[in-house]
Amino acid sequence: MYGFEALTFNIHGGYLEAIVRGHRAGLLTTADYNNLCQCENLDDIKMHLSATKYGSYLQNEPSPLHTTTIVEKCTLKLVDDYKHMLCQATEPMSTFLEYIRYGHMIDNVVLIVTGTLHERDVQELIEKCHPLGMFDSIATLAVAQNMRELYRLVLVDTPLAPYFSECLTSEDLDDMNIEIMRNTLYKAYLEDFYKFCQKLGGATAEIMSDLLAFEADRRAVNITINSIGTELTREDRKKLYSNFGFLYPYGHEELAICEDIDQVRGVMEKYPPYQAIFSKMSYGESQMLDKAFYEEEVRRLCLAFEQQFHYAVFFAYMRLREQEIRNLMWISECVAQNQKSRIHDSVVYMF
Amino acid sequence: MAGAEEIEICEEGEESIEAEAKTERGDEKVLQFLDSLDGYLTLMDSLNSKLREGWFDLASARHSMGTLRINTTLLDLKDHSASSTLQVTDQEVESLGSVPRFALSKWASKGGSGKGKDFSTVADSEMGSPRSPQLRHRGFAEEKPSAKGETVLAADEDAEIKKERAKSLSVFGGLVSPKLRGAQLSFETALETLVEIANTRAAMLTAFERITKK
Repeated sequence: MYGFEALTFNIHGGYLEAIVRGHRAGLLTTADYNNLCQCENLDDIKMHLSATKYGSYLQNEPSPLHTTTIVEKCTLKLVDDYKHMLCQATEPMSTFLEYIRYGHMIDNVVLIVTGTLHERDVQELIEKCHPLGMFDSIATLAVAQNMRELYRLVLVDTPLAPYFSECLTSEDLDDMNIEIMRNTLYKAYLEDFYKFCQKLGGATAEIMSDLLAFEADRRAVNITINSIGTELTREDRKKLYSNFGFLYPYGHEELAICEDIDQVRGVMEKYPPYQAIFSKMSYGESQMLDKAFYEEEVRRLCLAFEQQFHYAVFFAYMRLREQEIRNLMWISECVAQNQKSRIHDSVVYMF
Repeated sequence: MAGAEEIEICEEGEESIEAEAKTERGDEKVLQFLDSLDGYLTLMDSLNSKLREGWFDLASARHSMGTLRINTTLLDLKDHSASSTLQVTDQEVESLGSVPRFALSKWASKGGSGKGKDFSTVADSEMGSPRSPQLRHRGFAEEKPSAKGETVLAADEDAEIKKERAKSLSVFGGLVSPKLRGAQLSFETALETLVEIANTRAAMLTAFERITKK
């Protein structure tokens, strides 16, 4: 029953909630980002990060550093924190934490299949996979020729199996089919995660519904903008939108027929949560849309920490860390390319 | 006596006219060289700026789409024909022999000669061919009135080029961010600029040889 979690949550979840709130305190602050923005080169960034939780992961990296190295090592730290929480979790928290990984598993599957289509070495592709999305039979993905084989040979024994029901065809895999597969899988995953959170009930259901609905809406907007001018038909585009969210169903009907960014803006401005996001952009511009969406997402994720005794803090923490790594990647790229004046185009501050 | 003086004066006059003409021709050659040098430096600056823009847009696309979606492991290693070709021909220039000319054929069809735009023509009209004695004039070029048939053909070509662009980006997925498309355009413009630089450099070296040649 909602409101009574305080009586029982700490029995199984108290330790991990304390851990995740401790981790949250270690997120980089505005002062840290200001120091990083003053760096002249990547070695300076490494020096500033040595005083943070990433210090031990970067200290042994030789110069000259590369931006991908910084991202890899910061991701390793995230994965270690996640694995520590997962191994301490009991049901249903462990299932909740496993759901956080499925998005990365989908990305890894698509990476391996796309790379194999382009005749790349499987080992090279596996090294590039996200560590949170690894599973045992991932290398076997390289032998599949179509989605039916992909499912039958590999994915039937993975948590992604239930998401394949809408994808199963015998069509050969090509770039557009793979893209449709990616978005269809992600749609099925989001809907499944949403239903699982609803079943959990309480504060978890309430906060996660909001966060997942925002995620579904953001994906709908990105799919719309990225498919403008491509061969993806309106019907196919609509099939990729999730069946929940603030935009479902009428917003999706309008987004499906948009042909340019201004039409997308016209649709989104009818919804109060997104009016503020689009008001930050001028007409015809889409450059700042990503940052506006990330800022709104971070605001919602930070609010999740205002309440206790629910699982959404774990989801919020993982997403905030991913945003932090994106910030570090962006700052590193701007410093490496000597474009420091553009750093603030995409850095999203958290606290 | 007076006749001899007149002849002398006439001869001196002719000599001075000839000397003046020679000086003028020399000055013209120097101005041609300085014009082509100026064009070369402008193009180098433009190339530098386009490349910076391209790399920055690529970083923006990686930030937007994620590092898993844009990385070198996704590049296609299968055999495929070049989307753009560069033709190098020798152009005969009076008293200087042959000078290289570079022509870029972008998004050429797989069939052979290609329907792509030839950027050597564009470079000629802007920079002045080595054969043309005309100095480069700054200002807007006159626009030729286009026939309806030419407009339709141009629209077809644009649609074809758009298709080829989308095909080359499809290694990163069917649905890519507008930032990645922006990066592609920046690098495409940089490639055109490189060919212009090559032609301008050839024109510059030709002009320099004309000056130093006795």
